[in-house]
Amino acid sequence: MTRSWQRWIPAVAVPAVVAVVAVVGGVATTASADLPDKTPQEVLALVGASDVTSFSGTLFQSSDLGLPDLSSISGASGSSGSSGSSSSSDSDAAGTFDATSALELLTGSHTARVYADGTDKLRVQVLDQLAERDVVLNGSELWVYDSSDSSAVHSTLPAPGDAAPGEAASGDVPTTIPTPDELATQFLAAVDPSTDVSLGADTSVAGRSAYDLVLTPRTDATLVGSVSIAVDAETGMPLQVEVFARGDSSPAFEVGFTDLSLDAPSASLFDFTPPAGTDVTEKDLSAEGHDATDAGPGAPASGAADAAEPTVTGEGWDAIVETTISGDLSALTSNPLFAQVATPVAGGSALQTTLVSVLLTDDGRLLAGAVPVSALQAAAAQ
Amino acid sequence: MSSESVLGTGSNATERGPRRALGWGFFLSELAVLFRRRRTWAMLAALAAVPILIAVAIRLTDGGDGRGPAFLDRITQNGLFVGLSALAVAIPLFLPLTVGVVAGDSVAGEASTGTLRYLLVSPVGRIRLLIVKFAAAAVFCLAATLTVTVAGILIGLALFPVGPVALISGDTVSVAESLLRSLLIAIYVTLGLLGLAAIGLFISTLTDAPVGAMAATVVVSIVAQVLGQLSQTEWLHPWLFSYYWLDFGDLLRQPIEWSSFGANALLQLAYVAVFGALAYGRFATKDVLS
Repeated sequence: MTRSWQRWIPAVAVPAVVAVVAVVGGVATTASADLPDKTPQEVLALVGASDVTSFSGTLFQSSDLGLPDLSSISGASGSSGSSGSSSSSDSDAAGTFDATSALELLTGSHTARVYADGTDKLRVQVLDQLAERDVVLNGSELWVYDSSDSSAVHSTLPAPGDAAPGEAASGDVPTTIPTPDELATQFLAAVDPSTDVSLGADTSVAGRSAYDLVLTPRTDATLVGSVSIAVDAETGMPLQVEVFARGDSSPAFEVGFTDLSLDAPSASLFDFTPPAGTDVTEKDLSAEGHDATDAGPGAPASGAADAAEPTVTGEGWDAIVETTISGDLSALTSNPLFAQVATPVAGGSALQTTLVSVLLTDDGRLLAGAVPVSALQAAAAQ
Repeated sequence: MSSESVLGTGSNATERGPRRALGWGFFLSELAVLFRRRRTWAMLAALAAVPILIAVAIRLTDGGDGRGPAFLDRITQNGLFVGLSALAVAIPLFLPLTVGVVAGDSVAGEASTGTLRYLLVSPVGRIRLLIVKFAAAAVFCLAATLTVTVAGILIGLALFPVGPVALISGDTVSVAESLLRSLLIAIYVTLGLLGLAAIGLFISTLTDAPVGAMAATVVVSIVAQVLGQLSQTEWLHPWLFSYYWLDFGDLLRQPIEWSSFGANALLQLAYVAVFGALAYGRFATKDVLS
């Protein structure tokens, strides 16, 4: 009897060991580092002084916006898109960057590999199951490739320097270049009326120690609870951004590195030639270069109808963007995707997520903001 | 038929010294028994039929309308995609089915034909018996996966043009490198099936009815995949042995994404450890009556 009992020991011990290893492994990745204390201003200066332009890493993005999972729908429309793009390639945002895929990127979770070498060489690979979407920038050559329907879009950028990825808008270059420290001070002064900037506990992202910069809105009118930015302690490179909805402890939106190497990636990665049999579309970016500037929550409309110049009411976190849609509304509202995500409310249809609300009024106005739908309705009634 | 193996190990043991020869001799004779069976060859033939059917159907209908399993629309341009497309078709059902048959039969089959006690009477420890049975099932996993891959490559060579292969990243690699990657994918899929083989081995120790053990193993693989589809069980997905099955596409990226290969191996190792230990607990305490 006792011997029989002893023989079950491994059967109990091994699962226990496996469970412990699994749990400990999960804890170890979230273990926090102990870094020298800094003020938020010093961390901001660290970000400003960051000069990392060459790296390769894996980005993980996940959204829990309360939207239905659209990956199945967009997969279906993605395969039909190859037949549609040939007929309507005139003014629509071509191929892979239509409104559906923009929405699809905002739901569920995605993994992407990012390779950057300098400011003019960038490759982003969105890893899908048995498929991949690639964006390759090499100097002025821009390729967008989608393996699921073997389609590619080729563009030549107007000037190589203009499209530096990830750089802040550098429209007004001051005569004297401010130091990172001065920039940090200016930024803090600018956001202070609306936002409290503080430092959270030190964290670890992609195996690197990081400071956690927390931006908390001072107003209660917004849906955003806080924004947390992990800043690499060594290089000042932002490693992770998490956006928390008000009253939620898990992020509603997060994007961050799970793996990062600061070595320059292989140069051959940026030499892209579409494989034989690819359906290549040439797209001239110089005419509609501002097309992709406003790919925020209003993106569902930009694909279907031309939007007028938006007006912004209020400022800070509870600002509301309002724009008028001049195109055909029925084209948008008859989209099955629209019925999937929007709910009818008084005065129009609303899209409510945990972070952002969008209201499409019956008279063709589109309002969006990080506020509850009721605030949008009140703004629409004015 | 396993009584043959008992005799075989006995003769080997006298030749090479007792301990080592016993393990290898027993393993080799177990493989001989497995691959001498008509059922094993029938299952491998059925697996080889998957790429052949796909290739012939594509050849006769001259392509498709872009629907269907992955890589199907690329076959007409490059025959090397037949094997990959067939793997994508075979992974959810056909491969688990055959692995379930082999693993489910491993111990229960011996018990039902009354050969198990003869095996244990000869100096074969119960642990060694389990290890050899699992190793044989693992070899079958590799044979099954290679069958699909090689049959796909051969029929693709026969029916379609073959040239440099476009990866899903859009980069193009030479035929030689694509064959190397196909081999890597076969190893990846084999690794992915090991967890199911261990589960089948455990179930096989629970019963004397081999058909029941086979059916239960196949049902487990289907249940795991259904759970993997439901968004309500999302927290569970990374722990399912079928989680990485269709991620073999990561080996078709440029550069190769190795993370899923390592994660897959680790996950399967955990399954093998847990269900191997459970199988030992059950088998070591079992009264072998038949």
